Amino acid sequence: MGVNPLDIIREYLPFLASGTLFTIGFSLGGIIFGTILGLFICFGKMIRNKLLRAPFVCYITFFRGTPLYVQILIIHFGLVPLIFHQSNGIVAGVIALSLNEAAYIAEVFRAGIQSIDEGQTEAARSLGMDRLQAMRYVILPQAVRRVLPPMGNEFISLIKDSSLIAAIAAPELTYWAQAMGAQYAIVWTPYLTISFIYLILTLTMSFLVNRLERRMATK
Amino acid sequence: MMIKVEKLKKTFGENEVLKDINLDVEKQEVVVVIGPSGSGKSTLLRCINQLETITSGHVFIEGTDISDKNANINKIREDVGMVFQQFNLFPHMTVRDNIMLAPTKVKKVSKDKAKAKAMDLLGKVGLAEKADAYPDSLSGGQKQRIAIARALAMEPKMMLFDEPTSALDPEMVGEVLDVMKQLAEDGMTMVVVTHEMGFAREVGDRVVFMDGGYIVEENEPKQLFEHPQEERTKAFLSKVL
Repeated sequence: MGVNPLDIIREYLPFLASGTLFTIGFSLGGIIFGTILGLFICFGKMIRNKLLRAPFVCYITFFRGTPLYVQILIIHFGLVPLIFHQSNGIVAGVIALSLNEAAYIAEVFRAGIQSIDEGQTEAARSLGMDRLQAMRYVILPQAVRRVLPPMGNEFISLIKDSSLIAAIAAPELTYWAQAMGAQYAIVWTPYLTISFIYLILTLTMSFLVNRLERRMATK
Repeated sequence: MMIKVEKLKKTFGENEVLKDINLDVEKQEVVVVIGPSGSGKSTLLRCINQLETITSGHVFIEGTDISDKNANINKIREDVGMVFQQFNLFPHMTVRDNIMLAPTKVKKVSKDKAKAKAMDLLGKVGLAEKADAYPDSLSGGQKQRIAIARALAMEPKMMLFDEPTSALDPEMVGEVLDVMKQLAEDGMTMVVVTHEMGFAREVGDRVVFMDGGYIVEENEPKQLFEHPQEERTKAFLSKVL
């Protein structure tokens, strides 16, 4: 017998479509919240006072030093029920991806900021700018340009890592592939299909980052 | 008195770079600081506008003690222009934006006014046609002239020059020194750290010789170059002249 793979895909098309939207949503959520939080943590980690800096160092150490999968489980079964009194795969997924991404973004940003020559800050300060003005008008614009390629890499990783949220039944791409595979006891069709979709997403992301890079370079 | 340095000491860890510096700079005076490398010249300059924190002693800018914690250092720095050996232009901005940035953001001067001022200054340093260029496309001498224009845009009352020609190819030194000379003639108060003895002799009102963290000797250029009193000054001058 054997069902035609195309028929299975056709049957699952609405789920794959909504799964793709969820994957994009999780990724965008992770990128946006992760970048904002990451920038904040980056500045926290650059505080000179060791005691004030410690929480930020611990944060980065924890989120970069433990598996994302484990973090997802902790947040889904521990953190989210603790706060909202019930578990929710979508909320837990966005939180986990954002918190994890923030740790990596923080380090990328810090490296970028610290790679800008000290003379730039000195020139800005000698013109009467305060610390914040020097950071905003002189250091950050240069740092952003420099961190764009590694940021792009982080964003691409995030898209791929979002597949781990399937483990907490958030209805994204991998979740529906697993459902498809389980229903028909098949492997190749569902996983190759979503691989293809993931590829489109990651290639699109790298295309966008490349374009942004080029536009900023010519400026 | 524009600048008064009193019993200034500066240490980096164990290393005592400035040991006991006393220096007065009068209004419209051009003081040239010379000395072997490692003598503390640049550190002295950087202490004057607090790019380095002072270990002990005092620096007064127009009577305000800038080492005082309550002093508004950002406000004071508006009056103290600085030019660096490595230019430190902002590479992500055009030449004009480099010059306009501080006046518009710090002094809140209107864009139009800042732009007019920038073009005026660019004309003065002979680079009006480079307004829309980015720093990377300029030669070293051009970069340094832009850096001077950028500092002047804040209308400072005094200017500090930290080896402004040391990173330049020899053929570009002249164009930068010419701009500085013009500035001195216009009555700017200047402290210049340099290895250009010709400039020190011609433009300086006073030359200060530093060695080992001390001011060893200071005098009018002619006196200091032709009749140095101290052995260390003589030894240094015999090497560089």
